[in-house]
Amino acid sequence: MSRPLEDILFGDPSRKAQTTKRVVSVITAAVLLLLAAGVVFQFHAAGQLDARYWEFFAFPTTWAFLAKGLLGTLKSAAMAGVIALLLGLVLLMGRLARLRLVRWPSIAIIEFLRGTPTLLLIYVCFLVLPQAGIKLSTYWMLTLPISLSTAAVVAEVYRAGVLAVPRGQTDAARSVGLTEVQGFFYIVFPQALRYIVPALVAQLVIVVKDTTFGYVVTYGELMQNAKVLIANYHALVPVYLVVALLYCLVNYAISRASKRLGGPMH
Amino acid sequence: MGNFSSLLASYGPAFGQALLLTWKLTVASFVPGFLLGVAVTVLRLFPVPPLRFVLTMYVEIFRNIPSVALLIFIVFALPDLKILIDYEPSVILTLMLVCSAFTADYLRAGVNTIDGGQVEAALSLGMRPMRVVTVVVLPQALRAVVQPMTSLLIAIMLSTSLASQVPFPGRELTALVSKIATDSAAGISAFVVAAALYVATGLLIAWAGATLDKKVRILR
Repeated sequence: MSRPLEDILFGDPSRKAQTTKRVVSVITAAVLLLLAAGVVFQFHAAGQLDARYWEFFAFPTTWAFLAKGLLGTLKSAAMAGVIALLLGLVLLMGRLARLRLVRWPSIAIIEFLRGTPTLLLIYVCFLVLPQAGIKLSTYWMLTLPISLSTAAVVAEVYRAGVLAVPRGQTDAARSVGLTEVQGFFYIVFPQALRYIVPALVAQLVIVVKDTTFGYVVTYGELMQNAKVLIANYHALVPVYLVVALLYCLVNYAISRASKRLGGPMH
Repeated sequence: MGNFSSLLASYGPAFGQALLLTWKLTVASFVPGFLLGVAVTVLRLFPVPPLRFVLTMYVEIFRNIPSVALLIFIVFALPDLKILIDYEPSVILTLMLVCSAFTADYLRAGVNTIDGGQVEAALSLGMRPMRVVTVVVLPQALRAVVQPMTSLLIAIMLSTSLASQVPFPGRELTALVSKIATDSAAGISAFVVAAALYVATGLLIAWAGATLDKKVRILR
């Protein structure tokens, strides 16, 4: 490993350059602290630091309610993730099929689901399907659209992985007597998975983000429960800040996991 | 088919306006978001630890926050802090912040593809570090990230659908579908039309991105 680019760029070892660096760092730190102080003052001036806006965070019921919301988020995200992994595999098989009659509709379905906003699909399940007499529970009104649009993305991720496996692997599998299907599932796909695990885990971040739309269908996930809390305590800023922080932490943890998974494979 | 013709007869112009608004929101948030992302990338190169720390926080926060949560915060919570932003600028600001964080992340990866020897060579020619950044590092980094930036542009385009979550005077595609579905029984045809417009826009962006990528990519 060579040095990071920025160290080479600004690596001038002369004393003058080092002093400049230090002085600039101190000034920047001071300016940033001043900015932070300004934000805190703005909170104070708007009365948002009053105890009544924050004291309910000391109640265990508040945290229990938020935890319940987070659990709802994770339940929906996990189910959507599992469905997307399986359905994505089905779409991939269709996408790779030799028969045009199968391949073209598969491409159309993938492009359609990938190219439409998840929110629009949620509105279809929420507003349009009931008109056709199909009534889903709020859980599925949220989870099904997310599963569908994620499945299409996952199918493309799978495909990228499969294409990255050298062609000789398939030839070798065929020549030792495996059928095409066996060769795909025993030889090609497991190797493809290793390439794409980081991308799949990163996709989970997007799934968690999409579950935020749960409040649209009033499914009890984190955002929806936050709205209920706000209605109870009239504390918009603190609740939304805490909820945003929770989302960031969950997604940051997933991102980190995906980067770590990416490490040892190569 | 009768469904579609009656839908287009009554809502045709509305769909045109909605599509234009979707495009407008996309461009209005992507362009400043991209520039901001470039600025963040450059500033993160500076040997100033407090600046690097704050900018890394910035990127991680806006990369990981759900856009809706951010939009709702800007629209409903900021007024409590005596900061009032109108609905349309709020949507644009939300998408711009998210876009800038992802741009900074991708561009950082683009910077990492550049060999350190190039920077050493440029410095030993007597170029100042800032000049090396603008004429050696940035151009190559930008050329390396056309593909992820194309995906990001499509993602931002799809994310404009969250404008339907705030009471916006104009309606973009998703808000229009939700209105048609609430007012009439033509929800499913409205959905198909909107979906087709989204997919077509996405394919157009993907095609333009692939063309640009072929032109500027550096083969190593």
